[in-house]
Amino acid sequence: MRILVIAINTFKEAIRDKILYNLLFFALLMIGTSLLLATLTVGEQSKIIIDIGLASINIFGVLIAIFLGIGLISKEIEKRTIYNILSKPMPRYQFLIGKYIGLLLTIAVNTTIMGIGLYIVLAINELQWGHSILNVNPDIWKAIYLILIELMVVTAIALMFSTFSSSSSLSAIFTIALYIIGHLTEDIRLIGEKLQSVTLKGVINLIYYLLPNLDNFNVKGRVVYGIEISPIYLSLVTLYGLFYISIVLLLSGMIFQKRDFK
Amino acid sequence: MERFKNYLIQLLIVPIALSVYLTQIQIEGYKDIEQRIEKFMMLPKGEYLKPMTLGYEQLVGDIIWLRAIQVIGDKVVTSKGYTWIYNALNVVTTLDPKFVYAYQLGGVTLSTLGNRPDLSNMLLKKGMKENTTVWQIPFYIGFNNFFYLDDYESAAEYMSLASKLPGHPTYLPKLAARLYVQAGNPNVALEFLARMYKETDDEKVKSALEQRIKEVIVERDARFLEGAVNRYKEIYNLYPDNLQDLVRKGIIKEIPQEPFGGFYYFNSSDSRVYSSVVKERMKVYGKK
Repeated sequence: MRILVIAINTFKEAIRDKILYNLLFFALLMIGTSLLLATLTVGEQSKIIIDIGLASINIFGVLIAIFLGIGLISKEIEKRTIYNILSKPMPRYQFLIGKYIGLLLTIAVNTTIMGIGLYIVLAINELQWGHSILNVNPDIWKAIYLILIELMVVTAIALMFSTFSSSSSLSAIFTIALYIIGHLTEDIRLIGEKLQSVTLKGVINLIYYLLPNLDNFNVKGRVVYGIEISPIYLSLVTLYGLFYISIVLLLSGMIFQKRDFK
Repeated sequence: MERFKNYLIQLLIVPIALSVYLTQIQIEGYKDIEQRIEKFMMLPKGEYLKPMTLGYEQLVGDIIWLRAIQVIGDKVVTSKGYTWIYNALNVVTTLDPKFVYAYQLGGVTLSTLGNRPDLSNMLLKKGMKENTTVWQIPFYIGFNNFFYLDDYESAAEYMSLASKLPGHPTYLPKLAARLYVQAGNPNVALEFLARMYKETDDEKVKSALEQRIKEVIVERDARFLEGAVNRYKEIYNLYPDNLQDLVRKGIIKEIPQEPFGGFYYFNSSDSRVYSSVVKERMKVYGKK
């Protein structure tokens, strides 16, 4: 119950944030512009629109997750409102989870808005060519769903950094770095395979499984070419995301519990 | 006084903005199309670029693709320029290996516009590895081998390969069969070109194909007229003065229309028929 109150409060606070609207505006602008860019190509206009649209949803979603996520705790500390909240008879982890769920709500709403924007642009494109709206590739929602799960992971990571780092720009840098590394894990694994030493191989493998494999959530290319994304894959990746988020949140809770607020 | 000063500074914005605009225009004058294409030469290899895109390889591929197709088909693009366009499309298809249209358009433009069937085939063969069920890709390789590389046997092989893939047009098996039998026949080439024309969306490529179609028509007509000239010689034991003689003596009904709007004439020095517009006879079909 208390978690829910904090979540709703966080959501209300987040949707008052100017950064959110700026990012949302640019995302929708990008998706809209894809319609113009598509006129530059020959054949398969919808490919360009889907590519740009999904990439925009992903990039701006990550930016929203990072910039709102890092401010979750540090803002409370800056404004000294945290003393008020933590003095209440409530475990700290509940506060943390409430904050996280509130932000997730914000991100889910935003991703849905961007997704609807992309759908409308694709529908306009189909109508321009005299096709039915039903021609719009329904699989884009699978890609958007997985983008949302990826954003959930990124948000959890941002939240974790914001529980112990005193500067929000530092948390942002850490989160962005982890986001980048999260997309390069495949290469880390390849390096591991090429190594001779067994210990080194073990270390690389450990790092590989420790880091978030964010590329799991990337099905953007497969959606464009109508390559089947099986329900098993979708549920497995969802499970992976949920497990990873749980660990990150657990760690955040442990750090947050021990933190001293002076 | 202070207010006046502020006002003056604000007024300065207009000329400065204008200068920015004018300098940019000057810079643009120095960026010709060659430079735009040369940028493709500096593209990193697709294999190295792919990890750098952090999962946005389709987006990066699209940007390179959009830039490449803007210069494809421009008249000033030299044969060297097409090497760089090949380079760009190679990167695009490494980032986005299922982008069938990039192979298709690249395949046609590199051969018909760039006269580089070797690069065209390289790109298409890469596409065949990644997309094993697309009939157009082996179809285009077959065309290159037939029309540009004179390799009729392998052309027929690729054609029959294409005719085994799903979605192939009904004429394809027939065309493959004719290729085996009548490899050097301009009519087969015309049929081929007409199909290629139908398969292409790009206007520049279409007009290039139209040019080729007309050239092959010239070759076909020239062969037909040479045949008539030879019959004339067999009958009268001397060459005709001009092609009109053939009609007058009833060997042919009429002289075919030259597709470029010119006329055909008989050159007595090498006893061959030429078009007034296309000065050279096609090498591919010249040999018998």
